[in-house]
Amino acid sequence: MGSSEQTPLAHVIDRSGEPLIRAEGVWKIFGRRADRIVGTPDADLPRAELRAKHDCVAAVRNVSFEVWPREVFVVMGLSGSGKSTLVRTLIRLIEPTAGKIQIAGQDVTAASPQELRGMRRHTSSMVFQHFGLLAHRRVVDNVAFGLEIQGVPKAERLARAEEVLRLVGLEDSGNQFPDQLSGGMQQRVGLARAFAVDPKVMLYDEPFSALDPLIRRDMQDEVIRLQHETGKTMVFITHDLPEALRLGDRIAIMRDGAIVQLGTPEELVGSPADEYVANFVRDIPRSHVLTLRWIMRGARPGEEDGPKLDVRTTVRNAIPAIVGSERPCCAVEAGKIVGVVDHEAVLAAIAGEND
Amino acid sequence: MAVAQAAGPIEAPAASAWWRGRAGAAVVVALAILIAFFGWKNQLPWPAWLTWNSLAHDLDNFQAWLSNNRNVPHPSIVFRAFNGVANFLDNLVGWLTSFFFKLTWAGTTALGTLVVLRFGGRRAAAIVLAVFVSFAALGLWDPVVRTFALTFASVGLSLAIGLPFGIWAGRSDRFQRVVTPVLDAMQIIPAFAYLMPIVILFSVGPGAAVATTLIYAIPPSIRITALGIRGVPTNTVEAAQALGATRMQTLLKVQLPLARRMLLLSVNQTILFALSMVVIAGLIGGQGLGAVVTSGLYSDPALALVAGAAIVIMAIGLDRATEAMANRTDPTRRHLTAGKRRTLHLYTAACAAGVGLAVGLGHALGAGSVWSRWTIQGWLLRYVQNALNYVQNPHTVVFHITDPIGNFVVQYGLNPLQSFFVETPWPAMTFGLALIAYFISGLRPAVVTLAMLALIGGVTNEWTNAMETLSQVLVATGLTLVVGIPLGVWAAESLRARQVMRPVLDVLQTLPQLVYIIPFIYLMPVSIVPGVLASVLYAAPVVIRLVEAGIRDVSPHPVEAAGAFGATRLQVLVKVKIPMARDAIMLGVNQGIIMVLAVVVIAGLVGSGALGYDVAQGLQQSLFGQGVLASLAILALGIALDRVTQGRRRKHIELA
Repeated sequence: MGSSEQTPLAHVIDRSGEPLIRAEGVWKIFGRRADRIVGTPDADLPRAELRAKHDCVAAVRNVSFEVWPREVFVVMGLSGSGKSTLVRTLIRLIEPTAGKIQIAGQDVTAASPQELRGMRRHTSSMVFQHFGLLAHRRVVDNVAFGLEIQGVPKAERLARAEEVLRLVGLEDSGNQFPDQLSGGMQQRVGLARAFAVDPKVMLYDEPFSALDPLIRRDMQDEVIRLQHETGKTMVFITHDLPEALRLGDRIAIMRDGAIVQLGTPEELVGSPADEYVANFVRDIPRSHVLTLRWIMRGARPGEEDGPKLDVRTTVRNAIPAIVGSERPCCAVEAGKIVGVVDHEAVLAAIAGEND
Repeated sequence: MAVAQAAGPIEAPAASAWWRGRAGAAVVVALAILIAFFGWKNQLPWPAWLTWNSLAHDLDNFQAWLSNNRNVPHPSIVFRAFNGVANFLDNLVGWLTSFFFKLTWAGTTALGTLVVLRFGGRRAAAIVLAVFVSFAALGLWDPVVRTFALTFASVGLSLAIGLPFGIWAGRSDRFQRVVTPVLDAMQIIPAFAYLMPIVILFSVGPGAAVATTLIYAIPPSIRITALGIRGVPTNTVEAAQALGATRMQTLLKVQLPLARRMLLLSVNQTILFALSMVVIAGLIGGQGLGAVVTSGLYSDPALALVAGAAIVIMAIGLDRATEAMANRTDPTRRHLTAGKRRTLHLYTAACAAGVGLAVGLGHALGAGSVWSRWTIQGWLLRYVQNALNYVQNPHTVVFHITDPIGNFVVQYGLNPLQSFFVETPWPAMTFGLALIAYFISGLRPAVVTLAMLALIGGVTNEWTNAMETLSQVLVATGLTLVVGIPLGVWAAESLRARQVMRPVLDVLQTLPQLVYIIPFIYLMPVSIVPGVLASVLYAAPVVIRLVEAGIRDVSPHPVEAAGAFGATRLQVLVKVKIPMARDAIMLGVNQGIIMVLAVVVIAGLVGSGALGYDVAQGLQQSLFGQGVLASLAILALGIALDRVTQGRRRKHIELA
């Protein structure tokens, strides 16, 4: 059905077990003696005051979240909001000042250097904004680089690299050098390099910010496709709200190092937590994001024979069916009617008058 | 109303530039010193009760004790270690010398040319070939080989020390912070100041020459290496870390290959720095071209000039060759496929065979170790000598130009300034200079300046000489700025001017310090003037370059904005570019003054007197104590001048 195309990541996320990533009270303060600030009232000072008083900058403040297997977790914020620092603390490319981070059951914050390396080699991998490719190596050697680090024999790692290059559509470019490729293709190499080690978690640090808008869209499609094919768990950093809404199962909005709202795209658009978030989502057409679940009401007796629509259908996609029907439509989840949507609800959603 | 309120607080700090007040204060202090000079002229020389008089004598005794104890049949472990280092350095140079001699001229030429051909390309190889041919033609092959050996030994050791430390400094912020002030200090010390201590420790010989060169050549190798490692994109290093690379893997697979071009450029710079020390090394037992220059200074100036030219030729050849190799072998730019790689292996083998053949031929044809046939040396020396005779002849036009200029500089520049510095009461001078340092550069530089001046007067007992040197330095710096700043501005504004100046500046910058002085001894036969003019010529290129770079680095946006408001070119220059390039210009003043000092003291060898003369005496007549103290005074003067002129730029950089 059409809805899988419109909400491409509407895959099933199993939240019954353990989360794959768990971050609890993560802090990162840059500056000398940063470790003495966390836990004191000074930690909550505004940025300028903290800088004046301790010559420190709090990049990440008391951030906690969980990411479940197969989930795409987006962290969104403007530049300087601490989002890139946050993703780096997850694998300790930047040491967190305080807090606890677990990935796949392993305590990252307590890991020894060897354990940390093992985790970086096998559990996670990362895609960077400026690609971070090795200019002196061919594309195929770049893709095989993670395996080379692990000590995988040459023939084996090159075979795997070829395989991943096919996956990202670069099978003909293996013998070229990065500077011979366009920006979008270079980032595909970055993607392939991250995929080649078959990680459980993929970390994306603003991977498409440096690309042109059209290519950016292509690359988002690519990520969506790869996500479908491989089912990786992703943490995706971006400053682009449409990108966040397009990719994210859940989105955390950061401001000045702290998460101001964490929720599904619908929750952000439908009920922004504060003015800051509201300003962000103001220009997003609500009907493109909100689903029937968001606008439906309880079914009154006798309304259960209207046309049936999946509860995950966005308002925009439901409009033809709802407008074409005299009777309210029924929202269906797993074969059961969970609510109904009538004309007023749709109009209210489009006009932004509910809540 | 709202606008007025908003404008109020912004206006206040913009009302006057911060330095206007301070510069004014500095000028007031200078005037106060001048009043002290006229009021109490010659009445308060540095007082004896503030001086440590016996130190020179003590140092002489120490030197005697040292040489007695190290040359006994069974010296103690400390001396054995020192002798071991000195012997190792001597032997290294000796071994390299005999290696090049065994290769013969033909073999060395083939080796140099083919290696450069293989890694640097045809153009660079052609230059290298021409350089070798010119060595043979100049009839200087023997000293050239010795200089080669000295340079290669120094460069090899500099890199052996500089590359690891540079890599460390590139990877560790903490180490970078520790090492930077040390490197700064090493680079502001005039070379002349550490000759004496090194001669005492290593005694005269190739070992001392290598040690001197090391002090000079290690800092750039560390700096550029660190710069290269830091220049590797952060993302790339992070990507390796994120994939679980160990520190060693990151270094070997990412940082070193990507920084390779910069590492080779650090080799290039190290070679050039080492070569510029060759002549000074000739003063303390470094054989080769440097010795030809220093001995020729008194006996055969034409030969000294030709040998100086040979050093420049060598510098140009090595510079072009290493630069070409750095660029051509950069793994990030040339994309090597398996096929190309095979071809290159064959190429390498062919080159090796060519070198072998040339060595064989060299021996077979009896080219032997010394190449001395078919030189143009005699012919060239005649011409150079004729030219020198011409400029010295009191009946020629040149003499009528140079002689008045020289006398003018002495009469209206050097003499009054010298008497001002020497005869001003010492408290006015010390505290006045410290106050000026405070107004220009801040509290810490002022304290350092005061301490250094106290060191000069109290410990080294060289107050008069130091003030004399200072007056020469100031005259030379003034001339340097008068020449350098306008030329720098012109070069920044005009492409044509830049194109004309660049090759001239390149050559001037590769000339060793002492070589500058030689022609002026003949052009300006007035004791102090050659040193002053030579130092202007030595420092001006750097000032020109810094001013040019500073003005060209001014962000294009304000320039564009000024143009959009209808500013003329002159207005843009005066109101936008020069004020925005102020830090760079101040850096030019700072560097210029340090470089001037380096040459002015070397000119002590040829009649500039003052501190340099005491060091020269120490070297040539074994007056060790006096030499060491004069060296110390040069060092102190260098640090004081650096601090006074460093301005507030370092703070700016920290904040940025």
